[in-house]
Amino acid sequence: MATERIQMESELRDRLRAPATGNEAVEAALSRRYDAGFVTDIESDSLPPGLDEGTVRAISARKHEPEWMTEWRLKAYRHWLTMTPPHWAKLRIGPIDFQAISYYSAPKGPKYKSLDEVPRELIETYDKLGVPLHERAKLAGVAVDAVFDSVSVGTTFQKELAAKGIVFCSMSEAVKSHPELVKKYLGTVVPQGDNYFAALNSAVFSDGSFVFIPKGVRCPMELSTYFRINAGHTGQFERTLIIAEEGASVSYLEGCTAPMRDENQLHAAVVELVALDDASIKYSTVQNWYPGDENGVGGIYNFVTKRGECRGPRSRIVWTQVETGSAITWKYPSCVLRGDDSAGEFHSVALTHHCQQADTGTKMIHIGRNTKSKIVSKGISAGRGQNTYRGLVKIEKGAEGARNHTQCDSLLIGKRCGAHTFPYIEVKNPGAIVEHEATTSKISEDQMFYCRSRGIGEEDAVSMIVDGFCKQVFRELPMEFAVEAKKLLEVSLEGAVG
Amino acid sequence: MLKIDNLHVRVAGREILKGLSLEAKAGEVHAIMGPNGAGKSTLGNVLAGREGYEVTAGTVEFEGQNLLELAPEERAAAGVFLAFQYPVEIPGVNNTYFLRAALNAQRRQRGEAELDSMQFLKKVREKLAVLHLKDELLHRAVNEGFSGGEKKRNEIFQLALLEPKLAILDETDSGLDIDAMKLVADGVNAMRDPARSFLVITHYQRLLDYIVPDVVHVLAEGRIVESGDRTLAHELEAHGYGWVAGRHAPAGAA
Amino acid sequence: MGAFLDSMLAGRDGLGGVRAEAAAALLRDGLPGPREEAWKYTSLRALEQRRYAPAPGEATDVPALAAFALPGVDGARLVFVNGVFQPALSDLQAAPGVEILPYREHPGQLDKDLEGHHGTGSADAFLRLNTALVEDGASIRVVAGADAGAPIHLVILGAPAAADLAWQLRLQVELGAGARLSLVEHHLGNDEHAHLGNLVANYVLGAGARLELLQVQDAGERATLIRRGSFHVGEDAQLAATTLEAGAQMTRHDFRVHLAGRGARLESRGVFVLHGRQHADTHMDVRHEARDTSSDVLWRGVADQRSRGVFHGAITIAEGADGADAALSNKNLLLSPQAEIDTQPALEIYADEVKAAHGATVGQLDEQALFYLRTRGIPLDAARRILVSAFCSAVFADLQPAVLRERLDELLATRLPQAGE
Repeated sequence: MATERIQMESELRDRLRAPATGNEAVEAALSRRYDAGFVTDIESDSLPPGLDEGTVRAISARKHEPEWMTEWRLKAYRHWLTMTPPHWAKLRIGPIDFQAISYYSAPKGPKYKSLDEVPRELIETYDKLGVPLHERAKLAGVAVDAVFDSVSVGTTFQKELAAKGIVFCSMSEAVKSHPELVKKYLGTVVPQGDNYFAALNSAVFSDGSFVFIPKGVRCPMELSTYFRINAGHTGQFERTLIIAEEGASVSYLEGCTAPMRDENQLHAAVVELVALDDASIKYSTVQNWYPGDENGVGGIYNFVTKRGECRGPRSRIVWTQVETGSAITWKYPSCVLRGDDSAGEFHSVALTHHCQQADTGTKMIHIGRNTKSKIVSKGISAGRGQNTYRGLVKIEKGAEGARNHTQCDSLLIGKRCGAHTFPYIEVKNPGAIVEHEATTSKISEDQMFYCRSRGIGEEDAVSMIVDGFCKQVFRELPMEFAVEAKKLLEVSLEGAVG
Repeated sequence: MLKIDNLHVRVAGREILKGLSLEAKAGEVHAIMGPNGAGKSTLGNVLAGREGYEVTAGTVEFEGQNLLELAPEERAAAGVFLAFQYPVEIPGVNNTYFLRAALNAQRRQRGEAELDSMQFLKKVREKLAVLHLKDELLHRAVNEGFSGGEKKRNEIFQLALLEPKLAILDETDSGLDIDAMKLVADGVNAMRDPARSFLVITHYQRLLDYIVPDVVHVLAEGRIVESGDRTLAHELEAHGYGWVAGRHAPAGAA
Repeated sequence: MGAFLDSMLAGRDGLGGVRAEAAAALLRDGLPGPREEAWKYTSLRALEQRRYAPAPGEATDVPALAAFALPGVDGARLVFVNGVFQPALSDLQAAPGVEILPYREHPGQLDKDLEGHHGTGSADAFLRLNTALVEDGASIRVVAGADAGAPIHLVILGAPAAADLAWQLRLQVELGAGARLSLVEHHLGNDEHAHLGNLVANYVLGAGARLELLQVQDAGERATLIRRGSFHVGEDAQLAATTLEAGAQMTRHDFRVHLAGRGARLESRGVFVLHGRQHADTHMDVRHEARDTSSDVLWRGVADQRSRGVFHGAITIAEGADGADAALSNKNLLLSPQAEIDTQPALEIYADEVKAAHGATVGQLDEQALFYLRTRGIPLDAARRILVSAFCSAVFADLQPAVLRERLDELLATRLPQAGE
């Protein structure tokens, strides 16, 4: 496949713009920079577009997978064939041609045995994205797995972690090095046929991270995966599996970027979390896939299934997400609270600007006794963005003493955007208490005037107010991520006020 | 310092100020009194640059420059401060952070060096002590969950910190009990300076017992109908606004 | 075709115009299935298998007037028994400017009203069924500026018959500019029948008009009741609705309000109180379509024993409806391990100069309040009843006159968990 040329960012930015608001001065700032929009010039080995059993076998073969894995994929593929794409209640989306996508793309050449073998172009790519992989520049206290298109190119701190019995590696590696764990847990939280995109992922998943924290171990550092889509006309289908055994705890971070292209690229990931007795998993995402341009041309379709199961008593799963990228986001990081006294949390900031659409939220399924869940969702809509919170809180019959509190706030910036809230509350236990509240508001003229009369400029006032609006969620992020999230929000909002 | 000449202002199509003129020199405290609906708050808002206030005639000069041309934040940087009658709540935005952003934005605009957090905090502590405000106020979000009195004191605290050249107090006494009003007045008096002017907008005379004005103006029907020294405020207190209207009849029709 | 539609439509080949169209569409699409979002929590599978005799069917036992009188509701009266207008029990005397036309006596008016609303509603199966087969109901019109005075009492009564009947009723209510009307929609019946009632009501409120609507649903315990009210609220017009859902085995109530004119207002208060195996599904759908419109919706729900309460409360603020102010609150008490509450408040906002908020809770009685009452010597059962009753009757707090409010509280009391249950 031909190498990709670096496209000048300005080329896309300079295309005709249809400002969503009328204020010239502010619109001038609309030259929103998508800093991650460059393309890495590296030769890749890609499968031709198209999907059939041969494709599934070819992916499995390239990854040198054992027979059982190939069969697992094929079973998922056959199931996928029987399914129909989901009905998009609130999303504007054209049909996706699954035969036009390349399902595997990897930098050419043999697999890198260590980070030292990773080509300069790739190391530079991650440097530019602020994720240095080299030994001397490694992020202190954060172990990184870097996934480039369909493969993991390297994982830092592996030795240090292994000393504690922690496995942190790419999924492809885990299939070979820890087949018993993969077999035991893969697909147990998100079954192969769970939904259309989960089935597709199960058939063609390329790479992703595998984390195993053994009994009683608290992971001494943040684990992080950095996902990068580079090649054109490809989809990314990563699969992540995190297992925390009894009493174990881990905090995991995920970041995502992609070049600016005027095609829509598909990202259909599956993430499964398993928390056994007293275990705790914190999973944080800062999602900054390319959102498309001001007119909605290009951008990533981000269709993700993320689910965690609190299998053991007193276990805890916390999802935190900051979603600023993607043309369309469709994800509901969920918690199945099976263990008694287990707890699930979901903290989310989703921002849609220009023509972005987000349909996101969570499902909290209370099965065990005294299970608790907390949902904080902050949606920001600007330009022509459409932002939907969709959530389910389900209290099963046996969930005596279950508690849920949900707060959904929407902030509207401009006249042409939309903010929607669709919670579903189903309660079958009379000992449960479920509370949901939602508000919708705009940045008031009074707030703006107050800030400005104290000398704070318009743009700064908006980011200050939006930051205040999101504060509750940012607090949940690890420090470095919180700073990045805040910056991202600022950049994403440029030109939003009129 | 401030020179308002024949100012006409429309709000939502209705003329509220109808030829207001006023001049305040550096170091002076001017009280603007008047009945409800006279245009008192309109004056404060139009000076601070609020949207929706249409100036149809007249000029406002502040230290020789045309104030009406400036954006609200530029007016702030130039040294105009409005203490709001109804201070706005900004959820999630920390009070200290807000104030530092404001102060440094103004300093940047004026070409002055920004304060680092140590310098800033030192300044904040000094001012807090003057106003008898608790540290705790700083850690809360801007005006969020503040009582009426706390909001007003927070305004005066901001005034103390931002050290403007012209401070406009828009009914800062409304809703305050006598103790809170004294605290506010103490804060303002501590700020009096030969280089600083005040416009104290109020409905009642009692605030002026504590902030003693150099000049008292009576605003009625969108115009200054009478100006005098502080005794005018007592006259008004004794006779009511009807008394002024009577003295200037048929001023309204003229 | 299921047994239900077969029993309803067999031999009805002679329908014409809009009726034929509705019947054809109904046969083509059938009843909604569980995959349809609007019927997610209410299954029609059992209904699909049931057969009904077409109304009218001879009622075997019609109660006396006094049985359904409500204090304070003493204006004109329209009585329908098993879907058939009863001139002898009715009283059409109304204030000047008020016109009441029972459709059975004015079939031409029914045709006109059916035509008038054709195509304006969504493709709902029960609306189609109603359009195809309805022969009874009434139109109530209040001319511009008129005040209809004392509340008009609309009694819809189920009475035992030789077989279970399915009846269709249509109601067309129009208020001219500045007109005022107070209307009581009262459903009742006994437990010796399992009829299906299907009422479609269209309301049009002209500029500045005010409609006070009280809905008392106390249908027989085995009855199935489907209701759909559509309200078009014009400029500065006001709709104040109070709803009590207490009866019927299965009930589905769609309440759609179009705040179509600038300054239009809705105030809705409602409560459902369920026990036994009752299933009540209420769908509020409030659409702010013009500037400066406001809605205030407050609903409560109680589910005891093996009942299931469903509340869907959607607020949509359309593009351009700046200045809209919408608030919706839904609080529920779940009193039994076999009962279920499903609540789904929803906001859909396409304008930015708006205030919109909703809240929903599902929980139990306040333990501290219960304890407080018990320390004052009130036994647990009684304390629970007091608190549940207070929880429900909050929705009637503003209802006038007081005698009517007291009557509704009494009715509520009979539906609350009984001591020793």
